[in-house]
Amino acid sequence: MDMAIDSAPNGDASSSPAAPPAAGPLAPTTRLAQLAESLKLEHQFVRVPLEHLKKTMRTNYRLAEKEVAVVLSSVAEAVDSSDPMSRDDALTHLSSLVSRLQGLKRKLEEGSRVENLHAQRCRARLEHLDSVADADKFAEWKDVRLTRILVDYMLRMSYYDTAKKLAETSKMQELVDIDIFLVAKKIIDSLRNKEVAPALAWCAENKSRLKKSKSKLEFQLRLQEFIELVRADENLRAVSYARKYLAPWGATYMKELQHVVATLAFRHDTECSTYRVLFEPTRWDCLVEQFKQEFCRLFGMTNEPLLNIYLQAGLTALKTPLCCKEACSKEDPLSQEGFRRLAEPLPFSKLHHSKLVCYITKELMDHENPPLVLPNGYVYSTKALEEMASKKEGKITCPRTGEVCNFTDLTKAYIS
Amino acid sequence: MELNMIHNVFDRVAKKQKLLSSRTQELIDQVGWEIEQAKLKMQSSESTTGCTDPKSMLVDLKTKLNEIAPINQLEGLQKELNFGLGKYVKILEKCFNSDISKAHRKVDFDVHIVNQIIVTHFYRHGMFDIGDCFISEANEPEAAAIKSAFLEMHEIVEAIRCRNLEPALSWSSKQSEWLLQNGSSLELKLHQLQFVEILQNRSRNEALTYARTRLAPFAPVHMVTFQKLMACLLWAGKIHHSPYADFMSPSHWERVAEEFMHRFCSLLGQSYQSPLGVTIEAGIQGLPVLLKIESVMAAKKQEWLRMTELPVPVDLGREFHFHSIFICPVLKEQGSDENPPMMIPCGHVLSKQSIVKLSKNSTRAFKCPYCPSEATVAQSKQLYF
Repeated sequence: MDMAIDSAPNGDASSSPAAPPAAGPLAPTTRLAQLAESLKLEHQFVRVPLEHLKKTMRTNYRLAEKEVAVVLSSVAEAVDSSDPMSRDDALTHLSSLVSRLQGLKRKLEEGSRVENLHAQRCRARLEHLDSVADADKFAEWKDVRLTRILVDYMLRMSYYDTAKKLAETSKMQELVDIDIFLVAKKIIDSLRNKEVAPALAWCAENKSRLKKSKSKLEFQLRLQEFIELVRADENLRAVSYARKYLAPWGATYMKELQHVVATLAFRHDTECSTYRVLFEPTRWDCLVEQFKQEFCRLFGMTNEPLLNIYLQAGLTALKTPLCCKEACSKEDPLSQEGFRRLAEPLPFSKLHHSKLVCYITKELMDHENPPLVLPNGYVYSTKALEEMASKKEGKITCPRTGEVCNFTDLTKAYIS
Repeated sequence: MELNMIHNVFDRVAKKQKLLSSRTQELIDQVGWEIEQAKLKMQSSESTTGCTDPKSMLVDLKTKLNEIAPINQLEGLQKELNFGLGKYVKILEKCFNSDISKAHRKVDFDVHIVNQIIVTHFYRHGMFDIGDCFISEANEPEAAAIKSAFLEMHEIVEAIRCRNLEPALSWSSKQSEWLLQNGSSLELKLHQLQFVEILQNRSRNEALTYARTRLAPFAPVHMVTFQKLMACLLWAGKIHHSPYADFMSPSHWERVAEEFMHRFCSLLGQSYQSPLGVTIEAGIQGLPVLLKIESVMAAKKQEWLRMTELPVPVDLGREFHFHSIFICPVLKEQGSDENPPMMIPCGHVLSKQSIVKLSKNSTRAFKCPYCPSEATVAQSKQLYF
């Protein structure tokens, strides 16, 4: 719904005090429009299981293609070979092919089962988005959304137990991606253990997609392995490693390659700062971060935890230039120290029209419930003052100053 | 959002996936069968004289397999599947916003503050196990400080839900003065519920004693309610037949539990609603606007990152209006202590600065920007929202 950008700030000075376009009770169409907008934010939710499904299908297909090709070429070889083949040999040969095919069938059956699970998960998520239209369960749906966002945060920060517990309590295993993150966890743990093998295996699995996105991850992993060899004083092995694994990357990353290979000339406890930094263990932390980024990108996930994205947006939306008065309602998140500190570097949202909240009822004072002014300048909503007057025989007592006046002394204020 | 359409496209993809799966199995079966046939032929050719050379059977086999051309078939189906998948991905990217982190600023969110907020959220909602698990995994031992307070709150609420008002009563009598200062009649409501419980389920005498000791102090201020409650004594055990049957309504219990939580949180200096939940909801409403602004400013990325004020308002729902904000219609600036809103006799409201400007530094009368009436600075009155 384009109300924010398209409503240019015109007509303010010339219009009579009419209600601003967005105020008033939210019409059903506005609420639906808002819902539709919020659904649009759920790309990650539907994309991740799809990527997982694609991956499984790819693996199964490659397996089938390879095995069948092997069988066919094996037959062709036997035919083309010039060696004579006895009948028994031929029979044994063919039997081995048959058992190979049977093994393939079993693997593919299992693979197919997994594919169907993933496809089911894709469907379940689409259905979940559908269910937002159910007005009765909307509060529940919103709670589930908040929990989804929290689970995503837990998984990104590697708090796996909490993530699992959260998903269990709300019975939302199909709506979160714990299993995918557990795969990442294994690789991250190995990197923390200073092993590159699992990470390299992952790169090999996803070679074509990483290439498409021009990923540097494999190169960085190889560099680190090289550095470890140098650290262990295995210079000869390091050189042959470089020849085999680093040289192919030279075309794109020559400078970096040269920089790292030069470590051969130093020891790991060198004084020279330019090269000492290459031996720092923090490089492993960088590798972990890089891996996380690539992993998220491949699965269609945002780089930042969803929580941070929504928190930042929310703080900006709620922030006004003067939010720190003591009179600020406790219900305003920005009245809390932690939230204020988080919101500090963020821009605040500029309002074009006044938004007035009655001190007594905390309701909006607008066209339907206009503000009334007491003789002492304090302002409250018509509803609140009418109720007060009906209970106290037409007398109004200002809750903040204690001054008393008559309902008839009140004047209407026109605020746009 | 055309979820139906997305469903349909996905169903087509799923069909192709199943087709590929089943066809693969079929092809493997076919190949296997041909090989078995070849084996059989070889084995049976033993009995006939002039046995054929195994090689020629292999040649036959090879020809048959080439006819089936399993690899080609698989490739063909895979291509179709990939095509369908590509279409689906495109649809997803069209219907959904494919990168919501575009509007995200690279500011450092202090992880400790965020974790603290999350822990408070868990404890507030009574999720103590999860809160503890989170604290140990995230290594934030200080965050546990707030736990005991919320633990107490939840114990009392649980008790209320089990119709046990003792803990609530003892808490409210301890906080009696504070509650009264803040205009809360929680203590009375609790005593009222307890009285009705006793009267309905135990003896009239007990209820009478209770009324004398506990309800009487509230009589002067809440005479009407007190009189109604005393009248209920006539229907001991049968209040639902009395004209005051709604004292029995279960909604009283829910409301009292809610009010208790409100007051408890307020005393603690906390809000009733989880601030994390509120902020995330605000974020969900505000993010589409932020993404639009960012995309409009796409070329001027630096400006987007450096701005301190958004160029357009983010209109949030009513539940996010926590305090009054006055925007002067003339200067479009927010009201503040130095520049408060002032009302002129015709009822229109401007900021003090605007009035000073319009009146040429308070020297002359000026015309209201909205209507033909004139006013002077002396006639303007400061407003307090």
